[in-house]
Amino acid sequence: MNVLIVEDDMDTASFIKKGLVQQGESVQHVASASEGMIVASSSEFDVIIFDRLLPNMDGLDAVKVLRASNITTPIIMLTALGDTADRVAGLDAGADDYLVKPFDFSELYARLKALTRRKPISQSTMSLSLGGLVVERTSRKVTRDGQVIDLNTKEYQILEFLMQSPGQLVTKTMLLEKVWGFNFDPKTSLVQTHVSRLRNKVDKPFNIELIKTVRGCGYIISND
Amino acid sequence: MSAVATILVVCAISIVSLIVLSAIDANQQTELTEYLDEVKLRYEEDGIDSILEELDLEPQTLWDRKESFERLNEHDAIFALFIDDELILGTELTLPASSDVRWQTLDFGSNQSFKLLTLTIQLDEQQLLSIAQPVSYEHEFTSSILVRFGIILSCILALSCFIYFLIAGGNSKKATQQIVARLSEIGQSPDTARLSVDSKIELHKDIVHATNEMLDQITFLHGRAKTMSVGIAHDLKTPLSRVANRLQCMRQDLGDNNAIDAHITRASEDLNAVITTFNNLVRLNSIESGKHKNNFIQINLSELITDLALSYQPVFEDSGRVLELSAVDNVYCFGDSDLLSQLICNLFENALEYSHSTANVWIRLQSHTGSALLQVGDDGPGISLQDQPHIFERFYRADVSRSKPGNGLGLSIVKAICDVHDAQLCLLPDQTGAVFNIEVPISN
Repeated sequence: MNVLIVEDDMDTASFIKKGLVQQGESVQHVASASEGMIVASSSEFDVIIFDRLLPNMDGLDAVKVLRASNITTPIIMLTALGDTADRVAGLDAGADDYLVKPFDFSELYARLKALTRRKPISQSTMSLSLGGLVVERTSRKVTRDGQVIDLNTKEYQILEFLMQSPGQLVTKTMLLEKVWGFNFDPKTSLVQTHVSRLRNKVDKPFNIELIKTVRGCGYIISND
Repeated sequence: MSAVATILVVCAISIVSLIVLSAIDANQQTELTEYLDEVKLRYEEDGIDSILEELDLEPQTLWDRKESFERLNEHDAIFALFIDDELILGTELTLPASSDVRWQTLDFGSNQSFKLLTLTIQLDEQQLLSIAQPVSYEHEFTSSILVRFGIILSCILALSCFIYFLIAGGNSKKATQQIVARLSEIGQSPDTARLSVDSKIELHKDIVHATNEMLDQITFLHGRAKTMSVGIAHDLKTPLSRVANRLQCMRQDLGDNNAIDAHITRASEDLNAVITTFNNLVRLNSIESGKHKNNFIQINLSELITDLALSYQPVFEDSGRVLELSAVDNVYCFGDSDLLSQLICNLFENALEYSHSTANVWIRLQSHTGSALLQVGDDGPGISLQDQPHIFERFYRADVSRSKPGNGLGLSIVKAICDVHDAQLCLLPDQTGAVFNIEVPISN
């Protein structure tokens, strides 16, 4: 994964850079919006991390400029402003995702992964399958080894979201956003409770556990 | 006020004087006209001698300039009788000619002038009589009295005004000094001290009243800020001291990777609690700023609540409680769905945290004229009477020890979300558990 970081805060930038390099990704860092726009439009990147509050320019405007000049590279915006309205503004400007500081590196990484693999899994992929588990997206029918599994709406949505990125971390916050549409973090174990119920139906009756917990972060579905 | 009154009184006096004077003038005018009419009549009957007799004059009497002046000064009238344009009797002065009775001014130079009532009459084809009568004694007397009276009265009024302002100003200054002194005292203990002043002046009373109201409000806000900073300190101190302990443990456990890993996990959890507290504070301020109002739309509250209740039912179930949903279909309200979701989540979480371990919890939704009625309640143990007035305050925790997780912002956020939606929020009194009623307007 080839990542561009546009971030004026050196500590945050090196924190992200270090994490990405450890994961074996290649990283380029610039500290201003103008540099960011030039680099983004002259080289190919898989994903861009764009800070919102940059000296001399709002990251939001920079993203608008990039989108206006047909740069379609996925962009995730970082911000200290955690509000829904700001989030909506970011997405409206053309960003693909939005992450509030301070964030966990695993959260950022999971989101970067999700953004870069977005292309291969298109909406037209009607059937998702993994280790005998099959999710039919049109009929919302779920089977494992031919056995029909009855899921409620939330359980189905969680499973579908996990199945779109097999082997990749899906965080609690990502699930809250995608499945519940929440931009706030409920205190209780809402996500855990539903994933646990999902597991009882999808994994418990079978020998192999597909949904794995990454402690303190989220979940991965894989057939290892 | 007093200055205006003085001016009004002076004006009134002047107007009255002028009316009286003009009445006297008019009277003199009429008298002269009548008198000359009589003179003319006698001349027609008995000739010039009768006029001389009437005017008590010797024939051939001529007044020079000095004599004319003296006569006028004595308020006597002066005449000029011409026969064929030759002065035969009376003053040598050129009297102003006027065919009807009118007031004219005769100038003697060196600031001497007389106001004269003049009339010229043609006695016959040859004889012309001019008469000039100065203002009567009566007029002079009255006008001088009136003028003097007016001046004296004005002086008295001005003086009394001056004295009044001097006294009142002294009082006012004294009261102002008293207020200033008291205010600096209040600055030392703004929560308890209040302003008072010995003054009968309404303005001062108003100032005292407004200042005390302001102080009450400041005391309230000050109290809230104090609770908040104490709350923040407590809520931050606990997790941060745990992190500090973890770091010490890590130093002790250096080399033991499993132990270190466990410490890191726990330390991260504690720090996340701190970050959550700050996020909630930021969120609370952002809700209170009202900027979400721009995104308000018509929302199907029934669907939103059903969805949330279905999501939370397993959570309640796992905790040993039951969540019952009873919602009328298609109840709409005007608002922000993200905020309304958080409102309900926070009430659910409050119930999960504070109701007894096998509590029945319910959420109900019905419509009502112009508003949606929402109720979230549990069957015990409820909120103690002494805590009830404070539950919506920031960082207020009924649990003084703060042993449970959370930061006392949940219900403050609920309140803020209700406020931004113009919704009425109340904790129903006399219930076995905590029952919250919310009335959300259907339209804007």
